[in-house]
Amino acid sequence: MKEAGRVNNQGMPPHWTPLTLSRHRLRGLWAMARQHLRSGLVHWQATLDAALPWGSGRHTLWVTLIGLVLAVLVTLVWLAGRYEASQVQAELERDTTDAVSDLRGSLSRQVQVLQALQTQHATPGTWHTEAVNLLRDNRDWLRIETRDLQNHLLAFADSPLRAPSFEHNSRTDMVNEALQACLRAQRFNGPAYSGSYYLPLGEGQGMEVMELCLPQTQGGTLRGFTVVTYSLQELLTERLAPTFGRRNELSFTEADGTRLASAGTQRRGRRVFTAQQLVDLPGTTMVLRMDGRRGEPDLFPNVLTALVTAMSIALITVMVLLAKDSRRRLKAERDLAEALAFRKAMEDSLVTGLRARDLQGRITYVNPAFCQMVGFDASALIGRNAPMPYWPPEMVDEYQQRQAIRLAGNAPPREGFESVFMRQDGTRFPVLIIEAPLISAQGEQTGWMGAMLDISEQRRVEELSRASQERLQATARLATVGEMASLLSHELNQPLAAIASYANGSLNLLKDPEAVPQTLDDVHMALRRIAEQAGRAGRVINSVHDFVRRRDQAREAVAPQALLDAIAPLVNLQARKLRVKVHTRIDPKLPPVWCDRTMVEQVLLNLARNGMQAMDHPECSERVLVLQAKRGASNERQSWVELAVTDVGAGIDPEVADQLFTPFFTTKAEGMGLGLSLCRTVVEQHGGHLAFEPQQPKGTVFRFTLPVAQVTP
Amino acid sequence: MYSPQDSTVYIVDDDVSVREGMAWLLRTRRLLSDSFDSAEAFLEMLQRNLELGGQPLPQQAGCILLDVRMPGMSGLALFEQLLANGIAQAWPVIFLTGHADVPTAVDSVKRGAFDFCEKPFSDNALVDRVEQALNLSQERLDERLQKGLLQSRLNELTERERDVMRLVVEGLPNKLIADQLDISVRTVEVHRSRVFDKMDVKSAVELANLLRMLA
Repeated sequence: MKEAGRVNNQGMPPHWTPLTLSRHRLRGLWAMARQHLRSGLVHWQATLDAALPWGSGRHTLWVTLIGLVLAVLVTLVWLAGRYEASQVQAELERDTTDAVSDLRGSLSRQVQVLQALQTQHATPGTWHTEAVNLLRDNRDWLRIETRDLQNHLLAFADSPLRAPSFEHNSRTDMVNEALQACLRAQRFNGPAYSGSYYLPLGEGQGMEVMELCLPQTQGGTLRGFTVVTYSLQELLTERLAPTFGRRNELSFTEADGTRLASAGTQRRGRRVFTAQQLVDLPGTTMVLRMDGRRGEPDLFPNVLTALVTAMSIALITVMVLLAKDSRRRLKAERDLAEALAFRKAMEDSLVTGLRARDLQGRITYVNPAFCQMVGFDASALIGRNAPMPYWPPEMVDEYQQRQAIRLAGNAPPREGFESVFMRQDGTRFPVLIIEAPLISAQGEQTGWMGAMLDISEQRRVEELSRASQERLQATARLATVGEMASLLSHELNQPLAAIASYANGSLNLLKDPEAVPQTLDDVHMALRRIAEQAGRAGRVINSVHDFVRRRDQAREAVAPQALLDAIAPLVNLQARKLRVKVHTRIDPKLPPVWCDRTMVEQVLLNLARNGMQAMDHPECSERVLVLQAKRGASNERQSWVELAVTDVGAGIDPEVADQLFTPFFTTKAEGMGLGLSLCRTVVEQHGGHLAFEPQQPKGTVFRFTLPVAQVTP
Repeated sequence: MYSPQDSTVYIVDDDVSVREGMAWLLRTRRLLSDSFDSAEAFLEMLQRNLELGGQPLPQQAGCILLDVRMPGMSGLALFEQLLANGIAQAWPVIFLTGHADVPTAVDSVKRGAFDFCEKPFSDNALVDRVEQALNLSQERLDERLQKGLLQSRLNELTERERDVMRLVVEGLPNKLIADQLDISVRTVEVHRSRVFDKMDVKSAVELANLLRMLA
């Protein structure tokens, strides 16, 4: 308890100490902790940022934080312990002060009793009796003596409560301490105490005693002294122990700490609290020391408090975290709900039909767009397996085969494929299907997800644009023809105009009765000019012929297959629109034909189109167009390939048949009547032959021949 | 009636053989012609005449044979320009066209061309039309010249003579004219005879006819 002692020496109230101290300490501690925390944080962050990923740095920070909190708690417990200790110490100090004042009080009462003895029992007989009575009442007294001024013993009484202490020591001579005390008493003219000394009792025993010397005056004159011997031990036992000795050990000590006498309980305790107080008596000074043995301030309640504090902090932290977490959870839930609603809205507003199938081919999901597309309710579709209600009956076999392929695990092309679906009312419509495996969260394939796009509108637009494109091309061709005709007529008109001028002029001259002599020369000149202009007109005609000849050089060897392939996309486009099935039959090992590829393709396209249009009326249900290429008639000089286009349409009326190849004859509202006549011209330019005949039971077949390309040696 | 010596047929065509043939044909019918190979060349000739001190409008009968289709400025564009500066009225324009240009030629006739002729043309019929055009040109020229003469005569009259003339043409007798102008009947008579002299007429009726023509 050095600390308490030191503070005490400075004269501060002892109970102040720990509070002030703790406040100082705490502030310092907190500042230190803060600084430590801050510098620690900076330090940690710097090192962690450099060395570790942020996650583990956070972990270490948490550990540091918990360590700091623990340190603060331990400090709190320690400070609380110290506070308790200082309370005990203060109590002990108070007790000691009380004890000293009690001691003084009882000592001065004893002095009064002695004075009464002096005055009332001056004669030796009664004195002795009275003295023994007094000794019996005051147990701390060992002996009372009266002495004269020369310190000669006049009378004495020993305590009847114990064996006389002075038997072996007659004490006729006064002990030095008593002498000193009496001298002092004489000087003070009042009671004086001697310093304590050791009174040996033989056999190594002894006790600490103290003398009180009370001067005896009579009528203002000093007559002698009354000397009382105190046992310090008994003084403590008698005067202080009943009050203070129950919890403390009381003792008198010398200034240097040597213990003179002690009394009271000596409790066992782990800690000793000591308080000392000076007992200032006339003539001497002693130190009263009180040792309180108390148990160490109990750690448990403090720890309990600290624990409760820590738990409250933890509880609050947890609550804050919980609140935060639940807020986050709420936000996440809201976000999720929003995302779900968004996805639902997206699915519902999608124009693309979505359909999911499981691995057995059963429909597990359809979106509203799909239902709208096919005209069935979702409830009518979900759980259905092949054949689906939206499959056109005539396609069921093909589709079932396709589904089998799909279920065997073959992924369809990424860019999707086209198919035909049927609405509830039986109408067919084309769809573009993009199908992909449906992969669950566990990464397993659980089925197939398909997106369907109704492309009938797209088809219609395509068709429209193609038709308008064709019209435009036809117009352009017409314009070109017109342009060429205009150019040609202009080119021919010039020489013809000149010729006409010269001819008419010559006639004028020859008719003129007043013709001048040189008329003949003029007519000569005019005729020469006519010849020149005729030549010029001839050259114009030749250039046209040249143009046609140049077209001849565009001929090449082409495989019949290539000819049919080239027109296939255009033919198929129209066939889909008119729902015509197109079959192509090509004999194996056909030789290439020698032709102007572009022109012949045009011929084939024209014939195919005519055939399909012939089938485009409601009575015609089985619409089939056959494109055929086979070997034709041959002789040793030239062999031929025959191409045929067969339809099963209405056929051709006999009266129409007669005019079929006449230019500008047409049975179509939009036709120009040039198609077939041009076809024949083209075929004939190639040296071939174009003809048609009725097909049994109905329909028409158009055939034409093309020369086989001569293999160049 | 035009005089072959004082009238010219202007041929504008990019084709030299057409130009030459046409000129030769016209010559066999005793018509003078002048050929130009483009619209620009023709305009250049007009401009040159103007610079040499010629009148803005031709003082001779004439007629223009104009090809519709020419490189550079087309016949139609030239026609527009001639309409604007009055030449097309003085010299009637006959268009020469290939058959593709017929609608445009018809259109231009509606706008004031004399005629159009489809190539290859029936030539003497064309020359007949040319002669008719020259006649028209001559008529218009005469009319224009007469108007000019009248105007110059009118310009010679004094202010008082003009007042008297106005009243004479209105048919007032000399007495009333004198009253209205606040002059003596004698003075009116002097003015009246002077007006008749200057305007080269014998009677008031003749004078009135002349003035109507001018208006």
